[in-house]
Amino acid sequence: MKNSDVLLIEPDAELASTYRRALEDDGHNVRVAHSAQSALHLADEHQPDVVVLELQLTDHSGIEFLYEFRTYQDWQTVPVVVHSIVPERVFQTSRLVFRQELNIHTYCYKPTTSLRQLRATVHALKV
Amino acid sequence: MRTVITQGIILTRVDYGEADRIVTYITPDNGKLHLMAKGARKIKSRLAGGIELFSLSDISFAPGRKELGTLVSARLREHYPSITHDIERVQQGYALLKLLNRLTEDDTEEQYFELIRTTLQSLDVPDIPLLLTDLWFRARMLTFLGHQPNLISDAEGVRLDAGSSYDFDIEHMSFRRRPDGSDNLSAGQIKAMRLLFSRNSPSQLHRVTGLEGQLADLEPPVRLMSAHYLS
Repeated sequence: MKNSDVLLIEPDAELASTYRRALEDDGHNVRVAHSAQSALHLADEHQPDVVVLELQLTDHSGIEFLYEFRTYQDWQTVPVVVHSIVPERVFQTSRLVFRQELNIHTYCYKPTTSLRQLRATVHALKV
Repeated sequence: MRTVITQGIILTRVDYGEADRIVTYITPDNGKLHLMAKGARKIKSRLAGGIELFSLSDISFAPGRKELGTLVSARLREHYPSITHDIERVQQGYALLKLLNRLTEDDTEEQYFELIRTTLQSLDVPDIPLLLTDLWFRARMLTFLGHQPNLISDAEGVRLDAGSSYDFDIEHMSFRRRPDGSDNLSAGQIKAMRLLFSRNSPSQLHRVTGLEGQLADLEPPVRLMSAHYLS
């Protein structure tokens, strides 16, 4: 089974470093982007197998990234794990649409998701 | 090559091949345009800056033989940056762009362009409640599509009474007097609904005292109408 290529989109450099190390310890190849635009560039250069995404980004939001990401045929079926400080209840009226339309595999709320849970979620998607 | 110049707001963008995108614009004078943006996937494309969502651009295009033209240039005219800084507003913006795209034909009239432009301008103002813009958009779409509720008389044809309460009858798109019903709308709330269905923009409605306090009560009937006629 090949190692998964994970595109980690996390604006906080320290958190990104922590998550990257943890996911690399599990055997994944991890590329880190700190913004939506750089994430698209990285995805263009290296097709990701899994995306781990913080929605609260500094410039364009993770939602914008996801809508843009899903307009590309190559990326329409790439599993996305949202790992965000934004609680899912923010999308209360459109939660089902939000998940289905953007093909979100799992939504992890950062304050209540341990690193072990995040690793397990990504590992379960290992292709 | 003949080129046409107009303004446009992007409704959708889709991938096409390795380097191109097909962008659907809504314009004031050319309806909906489906334009090939060649090389738009490349980082340094001269078109990249003008094909952002939540923005109004000056565009020039070469009409195609069939439905697909070619985007020649796009220059940002108005951008609505506050939308992109708020996740809920981004999500709502996408939802309303998608709804408009789905409910309009290619030869759509200018009113739809003005509708989405006003909607984006409203979403860009953090002080204007998201719910107000959302309900207002749906009310305008219902009106444009010929599904405005009767806000003058009840289902029996009797003029709405300031002292009575009513329930909303979706079948007849009007109100029924039902004093002991569970979904009562007061005359004040019906008056608020008249404002919502008026030509006033969200920024104008935002200044109406007390209207925003009524939005939670107006939401169920407007969502019901939306589910029936805008889905």
